[in-house]
Amino acid sequence: MLLFSTFFCHGLFAQTYTVYGVVTDGTHQALEGITVKLSNTHVFAISDAQGKFSFQLANGAYELQVNAMGFHRVKNKIVVNGKAMQLVLKLQPHSYLLNEVTIKNNAGTERRRSESLNVEVVKADFIQRNLGGSLMNTLQRLPGIKTIGIGSGQSKPLIRGLGFNRVVVIDKGIKHEGQQWGADHGLEIDQFAAEEVELIKGAASFAYGADAIGGAIHIKAPAQPAPNSFGGEVNLIGKSNNGLYGTSVRLFQRKEKLFFDGRFTYQNYGDYRVPTDTLYVYDFAVGLHKNYLRNTAGRETGIHFNTGYINEKFKSIFYLSNTFSKSGFFANAHGLEPRRVDADLHDASDRDLLMPYQKVNHFKIINRTAFSLNRHAVEFELGYQHNFRQEYNHYVNHGFMPAVYPATMTIPIDLEREFDKQVYSFNAKDQITLGKHLLQLGLNGELQDNLINGWSFLVPAFQQKSLGVYAYDKWKVSDKLLLHGAVRYDLAKLDLFRYSDWFSSETNSGSMMQLIRANDLTRNFNSLVWSLGLNYNLDLLEFKANVGKSFRMPIAKELGANGVNYHYFSYEKGDPNLNPEQSYQADFSVAFTTGKWSVKLSPFFNYFPNYIYLNPTSAHDYFYGAGNQVFEYAQSEVMRYGGETQVKYQFSKQWSTELLAEYLYAEQLSGDKKGYTLPFSPPASALFNVTYAPQKFLGSADAYFSLDYRLTARQNNIVPPERKTAGYSLFNLQAGAKLQIGQYPLNINAQLQNVFNTRYLNHTSFYRLIGLPEQGRNFVLTVKMPFNFHHH
Amino acid sequence: MKKQQLPLLFLSFILVLSACKKGNEEIDTEYPTIDVTGSAFPQQCAVIKRGEKFIFKAKLNDNVELGSVSIDVHHNFDHHNHSTEVNECNLGAVKQPVKPFLLIKDFPIPSGQKTYEMAQEVTVPADVDAGDYHFLIRLTDKTGWQTLKGLSIKIN
Repeated sequence: MLLFSTFFCHGLFAQTYTVYGVVTDGTHQALEGITVKLSNTHVFAISDAQGKFSFQLANGAYELQVNAMGFHRVKNKIVVNGKAMQLVLKLQPHSYLLNEVTIKNNAGTERRRSESLNVEVVKADFIQRNLGGSLMNTLQRLPGIKTIGIGSGQSKPLIRGLGFNRVVVIDKGIKHEGQQWGADHGLEIDQFAAEEVELIKGAASFAYGADAIGGAIHIKAPAQPAPNSFGGEVNLIGKSNNGLYGTSVRLFQRKEKLFFDGRFTYQNYGDYRVPTDTLYVYDFAVGLHKNYLRNTAGRETGIHFNTGYINEKFKSIFYLSNTFSKSGFFANAHGLEPRRVDADLHDASDRDLLMPYQKVNHFKIINRTAFSLNRHAVEFELGYQHNFRQEYNHYVNHGFMPAVYPATMTIPIDLEREFDKQVYSFNAKDQITLGKHLLQLGLNGELQDNLINGWSFLVPAFQQKSLGVYAYDKWKVSDKLLLHGAVRYDLAKLDLFRYSDWFSSETNSGSMMQLIRANDLTRNFNSLVWSLGLNYNLDLLEFKANVGKSFRMPIAKELGANGVNYHYFSYEKGDPNLNPEQSYQADFSVAFTTGKWSVKLSPFFNYFPNYIYLNPTSAHDYFYGAGNQVFEYAQSEVMRYGGETQVKYQFSKQWSTELLAEYLYAEQLSGDKKGYTLPFSPPASALFNVTYAPQKFLGSADAYFSLDYRLTARQNNIVPPERKTAGYSLFNLQAGAKLQIGQYPLNINAQLQNVFNTRYLNHTSFYRLIGLPEQGRNFVLTVKMPFNFHHH
Repeated sequence: MKKQQLPLLFLSFILVLSACKKGNEEIDTEYPTIDVTGSAFPQQCAVIKRGEKFIFKAKLNDNVELGSVSIDVHHNFDHHNHSTEVNECNLGAVKQPVKPFLLIKDFPIPSGQKTYEMAQEVTVPADVDAGDYHFLIRLTDKTGWQTLKGLSIKIN
């Protein structure tokens, strides 16, 4: 309703001309999310990812004003005189900012002030300072963000306790597909290539599609190099715990309008070490050789190439990337299944990769084309992805599988599973400035083709088509008040394909037959979701609220799983009749900021009428489940609430302190597990930080020394098959500096993670069930050397 | 006006949270137990004869109510490991299976039981491969907690 009310009011204007502008910082980096105001009016524009903004103005004199936090105020007088014009607004940062240890720049702050959802923006320097085993590992320093650990440096995002298909990962505007497949499948993202990551906590389905029921992680396209630049950077990285070494090299060049930007990343790591010499895998004692987790070594490569054409009104950029990783699974427990290993073979080297292991390749090509036309900013994205994952293992005859692998089989004897996923995506978006309204109309389409291979079976092959359209209006009612409203409609079709066993099982009558694990199945889904929000911004106080409905259609696994997962000793059984999951969520946030204090509180409440979860039953299945416990996908009513708090205090120019805390409560209100929580509910935790940032340290600017103390509560709120987890506390140290070696700047960051080599269990780790402790003490060193070729 | 809003907002936040506090009914978080000591059979490193019958005996316990039990007997000629017992048995050499004994069977437990004495007759055919086997017992309770017991046995 409020979306369309303004369509008509602003239809006609006097003869106007376009004023184009770009907002940059002192180093010519484009600034996103900066509000540019026309003095003495209510007219404003917000700069986009390229720092661009525009106004439609009639002839006359005007004054543009930018009053962004952390920057000196800029006022710029212009005269519109019968033609379009262009200008650059260069913002000078307040000098104290250079020394402030803050992870968000002002564009992020502006973005937060104009967005009713809970948004966190982190930049490359945050990633460099807090570099973990994977991008998600790095981001979990943020309150409300956790990961589901999968052992060897892989992890899945968990936002406020929701993960898997309830969190969308967007890479350069396109939904990243791949990680949803298996439980022990990471995110194939090269964290060196991530310049800016935006995290949305809470339902964001209307803009990011159905799966964003728990939140979204948006890895932004890297900023284009400045005109007439030619340079690059070299990153070196080393980690002591798993003997990791790696490099990431970038080279870019831009003339006026054409550019290229390439990056190559390589990492090689050995088995990681834990602070224990004995583990108990289902009560069976496993001795560890020198604290090494056997066979958790791996290698990773990432290749990125971006090229495109940019001018004032139009840009078209291609992003090409390929990430590849080969990593071992802990040999004594593939998944969770205990197995005897040839310890001599495995312990001979901590860098070799033996069975079982996985190979994952993710290829992606994306084109983003954007242009502005009068009041329209139009954007198209086209993407193709190919995710190919193989799990290799010695043949083990589970259940009724033949004791000796038949020679007639065409599936390789060591290929346990293979997932082959191809995804075609298309997005279109038009952002229209209508006076005080900023209206966004969008369309997302996706086509997925999923094939399987390997001698084990869990989920059938499937095809998935989806289409969504949305409208979103941001209405600047006054300088203080912003209102948001959005509606979205989705249509989807899912086709599952028949699968029958390659071996015979014994029926009740004693005869043998090949079981049909999955039948052809077609499901159609549609849904209408909405969202309403507001921002109320005073000088020192920000308030935001958002309520909305989200939906998620059941995935192939939830509908069609019908096989034994030996990782859990479970027979997983899908339900072809599951309804799409619905969720209602209310988010609030209050932030109070003065020169020295910054306090933010973000509570939320969430209700699912039908949350889909894997329910361990009391039954065993002899026929399809080879004697294993039956785990059925089921739906139940769920209530969740919790929140995060962030408090920062700047004692002086050099000293600052920070407190980040989070709490989550989830309860199933109906069904078989009524009264229980949801699986992988993170325990309450708090992080205390003290940072010392001397103005000058050994001649270097931007030096910092920082201590993180993380306190995690015990988690007694569990649901089968979880175990209670004791609380723990951890210390991490970070330090870094920017040095000048001749004419080259050198950026050094060091971390000492888990300073006291504390033995602790992470409640949201997959290996929690077999009591596998987390990584021990780890020293991480990264060096970044940017360089420039001067040309004439 | 600015100053007055903050406490109000905090108050409303606390109200939102406290409104959700529930009367916490007790939930079962205990695993069932399998007792393979005393008169139980087989026990770790037990020897079973081909062509003969034996009685599978175990004492099952749960704090609320037992669910079901399942047994899985399969060869261990490749020396994989499901054993949950601390003491290991002397394994024979690794060998190729020809006709290994395989038994997968699940047994319901009468409802409402907290303890149950399992006693099931199992026949081992005379023509199966002799050697090392695993005897895996899986027990659930009504809630869905599962306990595994993996025993190493020999069939002679």
